[in-house]
Formats: sequence, C-alpha cells, structure tokens
Amino acid sequence: MSAFLTYLLNGLAVGCAIALVSGGLVVIHRVTGVVNFAQGTFAVVAGLCTSSLLGLGLPHGLSEVAAALVAALAGLLTGLAAIGRRGTTPLSSLIVTLGVGVLAYAVEIVLWGDQPRSAPGLAGSVTVAGARIQTQYLLVIGVTAATFALLALFFGRTYLGKALTACASNPYAARVVGIDTRLMGLMAFALGGLLGGVAGVLVTPLRPISFDTDVTLIVNAFAAAVFGALTRPVITLAGALLLGVAETMAAGYGYGSHQLEVALGLMIVVMIVQVSRRPAVSQEPT
Amino acid sequence: MIRAAAGLLVAAVTLALPAVLDDSALAVYILLGLAAMVTVGVSLLMGYAGQVSLGQGAFYAIGAYTAALLSLHGVPPLAGLVAAPVAAAGSALVIGVPLLRLRGHHLAFATLAVQLILLSLAGQLEITGGDIGLQAIPQFAIGSFEAGSAAAYAYMTWAGLALVMLVTRNVIDSRPGRALRALATSETAAASSGIPVGRYKLVVFALSAAFAGLAGGIYCFYTGYVAPGSFPVLISIQYIVMAVVGGLGTIWGAVVGAAAITLLVQGLNSLAAVPGMPSSAPSVLSYAVYALVLILVVLFLPHGLLPALSGRLSRKRDASPVETR
Repeated sequence: MSAFLTYLLNGLAVGCAIALVSGGLVVIHRVTGVVNFAQGTFAVVAGLCTSSLLGLGLPHGLSEVAAALVAALAGLLTGLAAIGRRGTTPLSSLIVTLGVGVLAYAVEIVLWGDQPRSAPGLAGSVTVAGARIQTQYLLVIGVTAATFALLALFFGRTYLGKALTACASNPYAARVVGIDTRLMGLMAFALGGLLGGVAGVLVTPLRPISFDTDVTLIVNAFAAAVFGALTRPVITLAGALLLGVAETMAAGYGYGSHQLEVALGLMIVVMIVQVSRRPAVSQEPT
Repeated sequence: MIRAAAGLLVAAVTLALPAVLDDSALAVYILLGLAAMVTVGVSLLMGYAGQVSLGQGAFYAIGAYTAALLSLHGVPPLAGLVAAPVAAAGSALVIGVPLLRLRGHHLAFATLAVQLILLSLAGQLEITGGDIGLQAIPQFAIGSFEAGSAAAYAYMTWAGLALVMLVTRNVIDSRPGRALRALATSETAAASSGIPVGRYKLVVFALSAAFAGLAGGIYCFYTGYVAPGSFPVLISIQYIVMAVVGGLGTIWGAVVGAAAITLLVQGLNSLAAVPGMPSSAPSVLSYAVYALVLILVVLFLPHGLLPALSGRLSRKRDASPVETR
C-alpha cells in the first residue's frame, strides 16, 4: 500500500513537470496557432543554467529564478523566429521551431558539453501516510499548483490576460479592437518559455538533464496537451497528471523500459479518436 | 534538346565519379545518394500530399533491419534488398491507415512517436540485437558476383536513386499525379471532384516509405552493421531540411537539396576535424547547419533553393511547387 502511495505521489510530481511544459505548449498554441517544437528545449536550458549558476556559488532561489528568466528569454527569441515574420503559416512556424530546437543543441553542447548535468534540490524526505517521499517531489507539486493558479488569475482577471485570450478566440476581431496580435504572440512565447523553464528548474534535481532530454519532454508534453485538444489548460493538466502517474506506476511495477512506448501509444490513440469524432469538412487547414 | 544534353552530362558525370574518387570521398558520394533517395520521397510526400513526416528515419531503419536480418539468416542478399522497400511500404500501409487521418502538427508528432517507439523496440528486442544491433552482415552479392568495393556500392546507390526518380516522375506525370496536385491545394475540393483523397495519401506515404526502405537496405550492406544509434531523430529532420532546401514537390530539387546539405555538412566536418578543435565540434557544427539552413529557407525561400534559382534565371513561374503550408 505504501509503495502504491509512493508511486502515486512520485507520479503526480512527474505529471506536474509534464503539465508545466505542456501548459506552455497550450498557451502558445492558443494565442498563435503554432505548436512549439522547441518547448522541451526551454526546460533543458533552464535546468542546465541552474546547474551552472549554483556551480558559480549563487544562492538557491536566485539561481532558479534567473534560470527560468533565461528560459523566458529563449521563448521570446523562438517566438521572434517563428512568428516574427509576417505571413508565416502555422506549419512553417512549426518547422522553424523544430529548427530552433536543433539549433539549441549546438548552443547547449558548446556551453555545457554533451554529458547530463544535475543540480541539488531540496534535501531530505517526509513520510506521508506510511509512504516516504522526497521533499523535492512535494516542492514540484506545490509550485505547479501555484503556477496554474496564477495562470488562471492572469488569464481571467488581468487586461493582458484577456487580450491574450482575445487573440486566441478571434485574431481578426482582436486586431479590430486594437490588440497587437503579433506582440501578444511574442508574449505567449515568452510565457511558454517561462513555464518550460520552471519545469526544467524543478526537474533537474530529480533526474539529470542533458541537451537531448527535450525530445522526451516535448513528446510527453504534447501527449498531455492532446488530451485537451491543445487549447484547454485544465484538461491538459489532468492529462499530464494521468500520464505521469501511469508512467511511474509502469516503471514501479516492473515495466520500466516501456514507459515511453506507453505514453506515445496513448497519445496516438487519443489523437485518432479525437479526429474520428470530428466531421471531415471542418478539418480543412485554414 | 538542351534538357537531353544536360541529362546526358549529369548521367556521364554520375557514372564517371566512382572511378575517380578515393574511398573517403566515395563514402560521402554513397551517403549523398542514399539521402537523395529518401529526400525524393519526403519531397513527394510533403509537396504533393501536404504531409509532414518526422518518422522517415523509421522506414529507413525498417529497410535496413529487414535486409540485414534476412541476409544474416541465409536469404540471398538480392532478395533481402528487394524485401527492404517492400517491408517499409507494408509497415507504412499498416501505420498509415489510422495515422493519416491526422494532419498538420498532429501527424508530425505521431510520426515522430512511431520512430521513437520503433527504435526503442529495436534497442530492446533480442532478434534485432538490442542496443548493439546487427553485425557482420554479408556483402551484397548477386550469384557469384560480390560487391566488395565501395565503387560497386556507389553504382548500386545511384542506380537505386535513378529508379526512385523515374518512378516519382511517372507518378507525378500520371493522372493520379494530377489528382495529387489537386489534393495538395485543397483536400475538400479534391474530394468533391471525386478524388479518393485518403487512398492517394496512403499510397504516397507508402511510396515514400519504400524509397526510404530501399536506401536503408543498401546502407546496411554498405556499412555491414545496423544499430538503433544509426537512426536518431535528427536523421528524419535532416531529410526534411534537404527536401525543403531543394524545393518541395520537385524531383531534382530533392537531389540538389540532399547534395547541398550533405556536402556542406561534410565540408564543415572536415574543418572541425582539424587538430585543436574540441571533439564535439563536428556534431555542434552539423546541428547548427541543419538548424540555420532550415530556419532561413523556410522563412526566406519558402519554395526552396532550386525553384528560386530557376525562377531567377528564366522568370518562369509556372508549375510552381506547392506552398509549404
């Protein structure tokens, strides 16, 4: 029983990290219509930055915040490349973000080398109802909950958030009332970078991160985002938690080597089911 | 007349090159031909059927593993080589039926997922040799003739490429080819004029997979071993870079794109191999080149290199390849 509870809590923490990355994916897709292939890269950049900054002797907290801000900057730069040029179609933008992700490999290897890096997180563990759980896992769950709450407030209560939502629901109408949709798109990319960065900062103490970790991250995040059809944050969060728990359970009960296949297979099935429930005519790309 | 002369010249140069190149240059020549073979398929798939496949490397791997497994178990290499594209096309048909209902970024991620799943399986299964892969694959041979030299593999590769280009040209010029062009513009319009959209997309998907499978088959005989590490995700991205750079939906564009990128990366690699450079320099440079070329071409030359050049020369704007949507 306590093993089950341990797996559950660990799985929730893993799911939270996925949720942060896929939250960024959803924010960017909602505002710009672009699926950002470089989303996993933001987490990698932030994770590697944290390890370097802590290595330089900067205190905890400061290092983590700075690393997340670097990721936000990376998001902004990705956005400039992907949607900065007028008339770039969403599919061209997708290929550009793919290119940005590969370009990041080159930068990361030059700056940090190609070996995995880790960073110290919160030490110690607590016992919850007979299950031992590392404090860092609890931190991940807490920060993610706070982040999603802040996001909900931002989108629901602030003018900026509402402007972003307006771009998402009807770009033309948003332009008509004077909202700069391109600027909003760039903000969405920066926000996506920040969310990916927070995920990277939180995850690096749990599992070492290297330049090519982004493939696993982006694939898991996309799988979770697919649950919410890339537009609905709450369902995405639920999907991410489900995915995290399912993968951790699979690993815990001895199917460890197949967790990636499970996640990917699930993603494909969900996508196919979603498509088959939509009428054919509405599928024409715009 | 000029076209025919140019064609003869290209053929003559292609045939003469293996005789004069040394072994390291021949290796580049062979890899270039193999990449071009896959890229023609990608160009057809993206340019005509409008589908982005990030899993083309998976079909390359399926071809390579099929040919390797068969010839390791005593099947004549020629039969193994024929089986490679067949197996790739067959798997494409099986995966394609559910997958091709997806479009745009969904399809891109799904094909990426398929490649990750396949390679992860190849790294775990006993029959594929796990992470070590398959080694000591016999030389390619037909009867008593054995392809022992690199030059023989070069001729094999370029014969394969010629076959692939011929098939593609016939497909494009045929009635189904015109249907594909219609399909690439608007699926709804194509469907309403009676084109079986789903079936055509599936056939193009299988065809492009067969090209990749054939290239994979030749690759495994040439190198003598296959392992999951030979088919990273980057290899699939590399084919997209080549197809986009050359110009989507053009046969020669695919070849030019593959040649340009392969030679550029090779040139930079030999630059990076100069003493004093860090050991990671070659991979850093190739990542940077693939990425920058892809970004710049998509943003500034959406029709690709070859159409841009020929358009500049002749001011001809007809038969324009399909927009990268």
